[in-house]
Amino acid sequence: MSVLSHLPAGAQSTAERPRDSGGRRMSDESFINLLVASVAIVLFLAASAMVPNFFQFQNMVNLVTNNWAVISLGVGVTFLLVSGNFDLSVGGQVALSGVLAVWFAQSTAGANPLATGLGLPTWLAMACALAGAMAIGGLNALFVVRFRVPSIIVTLGTMMVARGIAKVITEGSQRNTNLPDDFGALGNLAMFGTSIKFPVVLMVVLVLVAVFIERKTVFGRLTYWIGANPVTSRLSGVDNARHLTCLYLFSSAIAGVVGILLASEFKSGFSARGTLMEFDALVIALLGGVAIAGGFGSVIGMFFGALILAVVTSAATGLVLSPDWQFILKAVAVFLAIMTQTWALARRNR
Amino acid sequence: MAAGFLRDYYIYFVLLGIVVILSVANIDRYDLFERGNFLYPKNIINVLRVSAPLLMLAGAFCLLMVSGYIDLSVGSAMSLGAVVYALLAINGVPIVACVAITVVVGVGLGAINGFLVVRLKITPVIATLITLSLYKGIALLLVEDGVSAIKSGGGLKMPAWFNDFGRDGVLLGLPMAFWLAVAVTVALIIAQNRSLLGKYAAATGGNPTAAKLSGINTGRVVFGLYVLVGVAAALAGMARSSFMSLGDPLSGDGMELSAILVVLLGGTAFSGGEGKVLRSFIGALIIMALTVGMLTLVPAYYQTLVIGAALLAAAASNHLISRKKSAF
Repeated sequence: MSVLSHLPAGAQSTAERPRDSGGRRMSDESFINLLVASVAIVLFLAASAMVPNFFQFQNMVNLVTNNWAVISLGVGVTFLLVSGNFDLSVGGQVALSGVLAVWFAQSTAGANPLATGLGLPTWLAMACALAGAMAIGGLNALFVVRFRVPSIIVTLGTMMVARGIAKVITEGSQRNTNLPDDFGALGNLAMFGTSIKFPVVLMVVLVLVAVFIERKTVFGRLTYWIGANPVTSRLSGVDNARHLTCLYLFSSAIAGVVGILLASEFKSGFSARGTLMEFDALVIALLGGVAIAGGFGSVIGMFFGALILAVVTSAATGLVLSPDWQFILKAVAVFLAIMTQTWALARRNR
Repeated sequence: MAAGFLRDYYIYFVLLGIVVILSVANIDRYDLFERGNFLYPKNIINVLRVSAPLLMLAGAFCLLMVSGYIDLSVGSAMSLGAVVYALLAINGVPIVACVAITVVVGVGLGAINGFLVVRLKITPVIATLITLSLYKGIALLLVEDGVSAIKSGGGLKMPAWFNDFGRDGVLLGLPMAFWLAVAVTVALIIAQNRSLLGKYAAATGGNPTAAKLSGINTGRVVFGLYVLVGVAAALAGMARSSFMSLGDPLSGDGMELSAILVVLLGGTAFSGGEGKVLRSFIGALIIMALTVGMLTLVPAYYQTLVIGAALLAAAASNHLISRKKSAF
């Protein structure tokens, strides 16, 4: 215990090192969060000025609620990026867990192979599907930690493996018949008598818990340390391998739950669901100031990054641009975000 | 000794093994060289025709990875090349101009990647993810709304020569696109083994600091390699669009994965510094033989799983061949 007790202080990233110039100086991380949040607000106001009916309370709510899946995935991806690793497999895991949940829950007496499942009770089917997604997370950890393969290559591979299994189970399309009635309950559960659904509330809780873990727990601070300098953290007695394994399992658990909730919402397991979600989760983390070199970034930043992306894409739709524009807009947004953040940090710390 | 032999030649055994497996899998139904079997000559020609885009990419991508860099935008660059080529052709631009403009577009796309990575110092993965999205967006915008690809119809017609590049057998029944891929690969093999480019790429990937200190302009090497990959991607797009006789803005999707896969399969170390163009070329043949040959055995929806598993297997075997100490 005595070895561990000094870690939280030591685990602070270089970004949060108190400076000798001036008394209370905002940390680089808070500075970037503030920057990202301001950009999100400015963009929202700009969009309100240009797009008719954009400045409405319901629209603000929609910007968050429409993106619950990607923001949830962004939490796990952000933690991994902070530790210096990629997770591009989350989109595939979303497809896999959804398809597994449906397959396990479908009753055994179906008219054709795609309508026939294992007939498990809904809760058990969902639990097993979650385990399936977490197996992919375990595979990520095995290859990254044990075999020391770069995470980008591993997770691209597991993305294909996860989606590939989903495709085989659904024969390349989807399973949506012969499901028990309660299967659609969880994903469509309205909360507090409003139109806000259970997955959205879950996302908000997840973000809050993640912020707490990231700031106030040893685990969270160690993640920054490993990302900032894996060698010193290992030499100081941190079990990097176990830590990364936990992070990959954490990320895949989130992806598994997202996949199951989406499957429940649509009452179908679709093998193409979650396509490009891994890309969007990475994009919102980058927009939110998470550094892919590791050791820097935060879940709050990622959340505002998601808002930036949501405002930009929905404003583009409002301006009647063809949906094809979204790819160019994402590219430009990420490019500007990275250049601005690099520039702002360099200027600030000059 | 034995380990070195295995490392240098295992790729050929893998190729041989896959061909043997695919050939005997249907042997109870068809004779060895009969229609329906993998070794049916027309099937071999077809596999090689379909392979042209990946074969075109393998060499250049290998050199880029040897120098320690990566390009995730090759798939989008390929789509854009395909769309530009088809768009020019269908609007009556003569063949020479079509090819020239497509190649110039490839140079431009590669140069943008090189600029982001070398000049602006954006991490290669992120820089090329940005351009992946950008090039894909441009390719989609070049195709009118409500149409999935550029093809004959609506008053416009693809010229008669459009198919020739990717389909018409010119030598041994194989089309120009295949032979161009072979020529590009041979040129790159010579460049890797007999010119400074190969040494510079390996030095940049093996130890960038040492390379810089010994006077190598690593920035210029990397920029040049990105341009090379851009051109290869544009040519690959041309081959694909000519083969399909349409300019499909999604035709290159997933190509970056295939490219990484074949280079890893060829034994290139992810950390850079090692790797051979020829082995990546063989890696591309393996993957194409596997994906096309598999279609006679299992339904098409098994493809994603098999490719993903092959990627993981290649990555794991690279680890077993060259163990390196890391921070874990």
